[in-house]
Amino acid sequence: MAISPTPVEKPVIFIEKSLYEVHNKVYPRSVSGVYANARWLMVWFTQLLFYGLCWLPWHGRQAVLFDLVARKFYVFGLVFWPQDVIYLAVLLIISAYSLFLFTAVGGRLWCGYACPQTVYTEIFLWIERKIEGDRTARMKLDSAAMSSRKILLRLAKYVAWGLLALWTGFTFVGYFTPIKTLAASVFSFSLGPWETFWIIFYSTFTYIFAGHLREQVCKYMCPYARFQGVMFDPDTLTITYDAKRGEPRGGHKKGDDYKAQGKGDCVDCGICVQVCPTGIDIRKGLQYECIGCAACIDACDQVMEKMSTPKGLIRYSTEHAIASQWGWREIIGHVIRPRVLIYAVVLWVIILAFIWGVATKPALKVDVIRDRAVLAREVDNGMIENVYRLHLMNVSEHAQQYELTVRGLPGLTMLSPPVFDLPTEADRTVLVQVQAPPESGKKGAHEIYFDFKDVSGHEPIISEEAKFFLP
Amino acid sequence: MNTTQHVLSVLWTSFLVAGVAEGVFFTLIDPQALYFLGKPVHFSSIATYSIGFFCFWFLCATSSLITYLLIRSEQLSIVEKPLV
Repeated sequence: MAISPTPVEKPVIFIEKSLYEVHNKVYPRSVSGVYANARWLMVWFTQLLFYGLCWLPWHGRQAVLFDLVARKFYVFGLVFWPQDVIYLAVLLIISAYSLFLFTAVGGRLWCGYACPQTVYTEIFLWIERKIEGDRTARMKLDSAAMSSRKILLRLAKYVAWGLLALWTGFTFVGYFTPIKTLAASVFSFSLGPWETFWIIFYSTFTYIFAGHLREQVCKYMCPYARFQGVMFDPDTLTITYDAKRGEPRGGHKKGDDYKAQGKGDCVDCGICVQVCPTGIDIRKGLQYECIGCAACIDACDQVMEKMSTPKGLIRYSTEHAIASQWGWREIIGHVIRPRVLIYAVVLWVIILAFIWGVATKPALKVDVIRDRAVLAREVDNGMIENVYRLHLMNVSEHAQQYELTVRGLPGLTMLSPPVFDLPTEADRTVLVQVQAPPESGKKGAHEIYFDFKDVSGHEPIISEEAKFFLP
Repeated sequence: MNTTQHVLSVLWTSFLVAGVAEGVFFTLIDPQALYFLGKPVHFSSIATYSIGFFCFWFLCATSSLITYLLIRSEQLSIVEKPLV
């Protein structure tokens, strides 16, 4: 029986629309110029700091060490205890506010020059370039069939990346556990399981992020990339293509008066796209993928120089500046505006408060606890006695001596020895008996103060309040 | 690639939040002062920190995963134009 073409209902097909674009590998072309140099300078600065600082000694210990086991953070001469977490919180606020300020004025400066993702991608790209060659050579190698040369080059690249990643992971862990001990245990193959794990964990992340994911981290993973737009206003510096000057783009023949032919300055060489680490075309305008690295500025300037046209077809500029054809003078004139002023004032207030707080951080932490067993009692000589437990913590790195006095009521005396020795990082509890004549005050609780005076005179007097009961 | 990106979007966000949670939790609480099933924890500090981090990561990932599943089923129910 022949199948009759009966009309069937059109099938309703549910399509799951993918929200993800297809990823095309980006092969950034090498670039040189003012901004590339600035970025390399930042790479050197941040990485010398990161790889080097953990090896710096300071009075017999590591200068910067976040000792998780001992729960103490050492930063040069300062020691931070878990009680000092407020300083860490303020430091984070300062970092955030600095980022806001820099972004409002200069756009994504952090992304383009200082972010570890940019910095490590730059280093990994440099290794890749040294081993496999520049953009065209790498593209050729990628599409070429497997050969002994390809295997060798790949292997060399992966090993070089791997070694750098391992060194990075080792350095990272070296900030949390003393790096010299860590190095010794690496060389004697006695590294603990967790240290080994975290070194490999951090190395793997470095390797994958800087070697393979690269711009995808900025595009898909970075939270800052998504919200930095709210710090922008029309006076924020961004990498801008001057479309008025560049368009209509097209090739120029030597000796031609291209302007008479109605053409713009852009010769459409496409180099700005080739150098872009995120693979975008800046000529399409400001895009969220642009990390503000200025590679296209360097590249375009070189082309403009060759074509004997003025530089700056792509340049740091602002929305207002492009619209009104402003020069540098007007752009700088617009840096000071309410948003920037507010960010700057708030930032400076917090920074000063932080410095003041750290500078006056007491070397002694005191906790006064009333003895719970007895509220108050009358002793042999007719005096009223209250007993206190003083919990004393020497949070500095040197031995200290404190003289204790008590005040607040007439005739107040103290039986315990008035001078305490506190060795480095000591943590001790002292029992103190305080006596006062019964007629010194009304019945009930009275405020008294324990004063701790540093015998050497370096530290300010620390006063701690307590309650004295008269029955 | 799609599946990888979906998996990563769950793991990555939870990783970030787990990092914050780890920092706050262990700043306030000494790993040596913890009790596990009524007995003091006898692991080394580094082990406790590490295990704690993975617990946080796992919890956050669970939350992210549920969010992901809810959004995903919502998107699936959107009928696109039928294919002709």
